[in-house]
Amino acid sequence: MKLKMDFVSSIKLNGKPQKKKIDYILKRVKDGSILILDGVMKPEEEMELIRETMRRIDDGFPGIEVCSLKKEVKGLKFLFEKINEGGEKFWTWMTRNPPKTDLKIGMTLIGPAKVIKKIKKNPDSFSVLAEV
Amino acid sequence: MVFGRFFNWIMNFFRTRQNVRLGIYGCTNVGKTTLANKIAMDWAGEEVGKVSSVPHETRFVQKKEKVIIDSNGKKISINILDMPGLATKVDYRKFRKYGIKVKNAKERAREATQGIVEAIKWLNNVDTVLAVMDATKDPLTQINVTLLGNLEARKIPVILVANKMDLKKAKPDEIREAFPQYPIVDISALKGTNINQLYEAIIKHARKAK
Repeated sequence: MKLKMDFVSSIKLNGKPQKKKIDYILKRVKDGSILILDGVMKPEEEMELIRETMRRIDDGFPGIEVCSLKKEVKGLKFLFEKINEGGEKFWTWMTRNPPKTDLKIGMTLIGPAKVIKKIKKNPDSFSVLAEV
Repeated sequence: MVFGRFFNWIMNFFRTRQNVRLGIYGCTNVGKTTLANKIAMDWAGEEVGKVSSVPHETRFVQKKEKVIIDSNGKKISINILDMPGLATKVDYRKFRKYGIKVKNAKERAREATQGIVEAIKWLNNVDTVLAVMDATKDPLTQINVTLLGNLEARKIPVILVANKMDLKKAKPDEIREAFPQYPIVDISALKGTNINQLYEAIIKHARKAK
């Protein structure tokens, strides 16, 4: 049995609308790939990923396993992030369209639940048990 | 469209909400329905739903409306919203282990996925959340992290509930270490241990949502 892992740069997903980001991720995971992103989605996007996963579950695809590590930003970077988030919220409120957000600094692993059996998460690391 | 949104915002700002919509969220089998039943039985004399060891027993949002909680002379009226357990996967094969037939297991899985979608939708319509965690298990799951991140982004007050304190393996301090920024109450929903502390916490934090 083979295991496919795709390492995806955040550049690939940055600036894309939420729906396209989620479509990109789920298409690959449903095909059996384990995706490793060099970034973290917003909690709202992660929740949307779960919701969309539920809609796509079938006999051959029981869902996903996901784990992310977000780097805590401090000082000026934190301030800029909050200003940016405020702008995104205002844009969403005005247009009712989700903003085209960039991934935050960190790392995310998303894979098919059929393959990934367990993820043990710690505050600054995680280990994955996969079975092919 | 923009003016419509602005009008709704103004209306919501001035609207006086009669009941606090208390969402009970968490992973599967952490004791959400047991807790909902305990609260409803204590204050309304009726249960909210059926409890089972089979995951995804609650597959639809279960409600008990206008429940008055009274603690130390302070009263609050709540709508209890017992949510289906959140998960990133639902495999019908897991239900087969509990002796459920294939056809029924598939139907249960289909309903469970819809329940999770519904629970996520409800995040836009709750005032306060009890995030229930099984104190015998590792709290640092992606579901818990994502749930709390969403509540923080939506500015929804949250109380962490370390449940199953009646079990020897319970380690509520692990929940405290993982999520130190939230108020937390250690309880056993099954035995009713510390339940009054939870009612005090609900009254204290739920009022912020008004």
